[in-house]
Amino acid sequence: MSFVPKTQAFNAKINAVTIGTGEKAVVIGGQNVLPFYTFDAPIENAPKIGIEISDLAKEWTAPALVEFYAGCETMTDYAKRAETMPGADFLVLHFESADPNGNDRSVEECVADAKAVAEAVSMPIAIMGCKNVEKDGQLFSKIAEALQGKNILVLSAREEDYKSVGASVVMAYGQKVGAESADDINLAKQLNIMLKGLGVAPESIVMNVGTAAVGYGYEYVASTLDRVRAAALAQSDADLQMPIVAPTSTDTWGVKEAVASEEDAPEWGNQEERGIDMEVATAAANLTGGADAVIMRHPAAVATIKKFITELV
Amino acid sequence: MSKVIFQIEGGAPVVMEANAGDNLLELARRANVAIDAPCSGNGSCGKCRVKLLEGELEGGKTRHISEAEYAEGWRLSCACTVSGDVTVLVPDIASAYQSRMKTADLSTGKEVAIFEALQADLRQSGISFDNTFRAVELILDAPTLDDTMPDNERISWALREKLGVSHVEEPYEVMVKLAHTLRENSFHITAKGELQGDTFYLMDVTSPEDRDLIGCAIDIGTTTVSMVLVDLNSGKILAKGSSGNGQIRYGADVINRIIEQGKPGGRKKLQDAIVKETLTPIIANLCKSAGLSARSILRLCVGANTTMNHLFVGVDAESVRMEPYIPSFFSWDGLKAGDLHLPAHPLAKVLVAPNIGSYVGGDITAGAFASLIWDKDEFSLFIDLGTNGEIVFGNRDFLMSCACSAGPAFEGGDISCGMRATDGAIEACVIDKATMEPNIRVVGEPGQKPVGICGSGIIDIISELFRCGIINAKGLFVREGARVQRDHHGMGRYVIAFPAESATEREISINEVDIDNFIRAKGAIFSAVDILLQSVDMDVEAIDKVYVAGGIGSGINMKNAVNIGMFPDVDLEKFTYIGNSSLSGAYAMVLSDEANAKVEEVAKNMTYMELSTHPGYMDAFVAACFLPHTDAARFPSSKQEG
Repeated sequence: MSFVPKTQAFNAKINAVTIGTGEKAVVIGGQNVLPFYTFDAPIENAPKIGIEISDLAKEWTAPALVEFYAGCETMTDYAKRAETMPGADFLVLHFESADPNGNDRSVEECVADAKAVAEAVSMPIAIMGCKNVEKDGQLFSKIAEALQGKNILVLSAREEDYKSVGASVVMAYGQKVGAESADDINLAKQLNIMLKGLGVAPESIVMNVGTAAVGYGYEYVASTLDRVRAAALAQSDADLQMPIVAPTSTDTWGVKEAVASEEDAPEWGNQEERGIDMEVATAAANLTGGADAVIMRHPAAVATIKKFITELV
Repeated sequence: MSKVIFQIEGGAPVVMEANAGDNLLELARRANVAIDAPCSGNGSCGKCRVKLLEGELEGGKTRHISEAEYAEGWRLSCACTVSGDVTVLVPDIASAYQSRMKTADLSTGKEVAIFEALQADLRQSGISFDNTFRAVELILDAPTLDDTMPDNERISWALREKLGVSHVEEPYEVMVKLAHTLRENSFHITAKGELQGDTFYLMDVTSPEDRDLIGCAIDIGTTTVSMVLVDLNSGKILAKGSSGNGQIRYGADVINRIIEQGKPGGRKKLQDAIVKETLTPIIANLCKSAGLSARSILRLCVGANTTMNHLFVGVDAESVRMEPYIPSFFSWDGLKAGDLHLPAHPLAKVLVAPNIGSYVGGDITAGAFASLIWDKDEFSLFIDLGTNGEIVFGNRDFLMSCACSAGPAFEGGDISCGMRATDGAIEACVIDKATMEPNIRVVGEPGQKPVGICGSGIIDIISELFRCGIINAKGLFVREGARVQRDHHGMGRYVIAFPAESATEREISINEVDIDNFIRAKGAIFSAVDILLQSVDMDVEAIDKVYVAGGIGSGINMKNAVNIGMFPDVDLEKFTYIGNSSLSGAYAMVLSDEANAKVEEVAKNMTYMELSTHPGYMDAFVAACFLPHTDAARFPSSKQEG
């Protein structure tokens, strides 16, 4: 008698959230099994990779990354180049320079950039803010308005600003929103409940349940991802069935493994390789833990993770 | 040297000599001027405000005082130093806690009924309310040239004859007054003492009319002290009273008190604050009102938390606060009133209801005893709400207990317009969903205008705000209206009384930070219940009865408390408010030897769980910091009206 493996698909499933429009639109989530458990049931939508483009991208130093974007001046140039990156599923415009404690770039300039990019590319667009609650609130609302109909994803709504972000981005302009919480299953759930309470449909919500570069307290991220996914599938907790989008690159390219020069840390070897390794290791950990999409930066890291996904799904 | 005059609102002024640079709150403490300082002078609570009448003070401008208030002369006393002669007004709200604290001190008919019902239950459960105290009338022959028996043999012989004992023990205290008492009363006296087996332990000799055998039961709470004097023969309550704990000026919670007692001379200061300044005046008052001599008090019993027990007897409490959290004593046999200079017979035993852990003390063992949960087959949950929340769960077969730090929110601390449940406190509130207008009930005489909000009022307001959809599950304001206002940072608040409606002409409101603080307090209580039940592999379904104790509890609306997820969502009929169960337990202990033994037994059988080291507690706590709970399925009866 031959061995027949017993499959364990769950009755519950992760919400499928679509971003973008037309042929290039991507669907995030939708599966009813644990990450990459293709032996239990087919995974409907393979995990996606978003490519981070920052308005401070000119400050990036990794040689291969600089080379990839060689000749790019405007955010639109960067976005068009990023669309050609093998493995890219969607584009993430990161408006770091809007930070009032930093460059304090005006909302109007950022909106103009976003609009220009949206007109020039066909891939779905996600927006990341500058982490300043007040500025992000204005920025998100204006961009959501300017890009109405593009079905963009705005990252993110937090406990402090979920109300204004949820109301403008999703309710007024029909975009998708990310709910960001810090490494705690209960806080993640609470934010989803509050967004739903506001009238935001669950199908418009993705989650960022907290991130870290591997080695930087990642065990908290790992356990949160595990528990969130287990609650969503095994316990059918509808308040946690939102797909997870993990911004990987912003964490990994800022840690000392990626930042320390070869003069300062000769025993660590090539600086760029270190940065790529951190990004690959973290993205892989995010995906195996339950992330349905990761946001990445370096073409080499993206290629590796794309291969990883393709071979496992 | 400068002269500082504390002009106490509604009282006599107090004058103190001070050096430049002396802290005003410190000075007030030295002068015994009661200024409410729950945070113990850290500048964090903003409660210790005084008003400058004459002269100047250095500093005192903090985030708790607005520009306009500063201009009017309001200062935070803990943040001021003396720089010259000065006169300050100490507002009445500060001293109110000392005199008019509304507690479960049997001051109303309802509270007396709760107390008596509990005692009736205890008697019915078969606990004998007998004790060994006896007052024996003796008519002795006066000595003559022919009858040469000395005084002590004469009395000893008569007692042996009358009581049929073979031994009488005569303490020094009796010997020194014996000759005088006998002759003054022509050898017709009352001998008071304890009859134990074959021995009579003589405690006092008095005039024949004085046959009083008095017991004194005391509940020492972190915030409030309550006391009853009882007739040891009949169990009748002869007098009752309460006041604020005089240690309040050294901090609102046990941790601040422990820190304070650790400073040089601190133990004596804290002990004096409770024994000399709090207990002594109450006992004196009660004796006076009942027409008793304090010497007739032959036994006392104290129900108090572990820290209060330590501070009361003057034993270093530092170990209560420090890992591994092992106090100096759990129970203690051998303490006498004379050791503490309490106004009672110096040989009177002071029974201390046994502690079972650093944060589950004698108030809980006495309270759990009084609730009779140890005598039932059904599973009961006992919750004592105070600065610390203590929880006991079990039945006749087992008892589990734990304590959580709820913070001072239930007593009005950490809440911008919070106050203890004294006159002027908003103790209940209903909000109209459509208009968002509040309908409040205020502690005090009819027509009393509100001053602030006490714990039960906060529960009502938050529950009502949530029910009406004015705040969301995280306690943030989501509706706008005349009663919902926002400061320049956008922080929302709900105005319960506009300046014109309040007694102090200051707005009474509850803001998002207050609500957040309170949600943490209720989260601490519920998660402690949750973990305790989990530890015995049970859930709320298993709860047959819920006993809610504590002075704070008298105004609690159980439905609202469940609605915000503070108490488990069980049938409201399962809830019973049992008032000050610590005092009830102490009352039973002072009267009854069997009760005394039973409390010891209950304490020994109670398992203490340390939550601070429990791996699941933090998780349960975060889940509970939501209205009503992150897992709404656990509170099916809590509904937000859509």
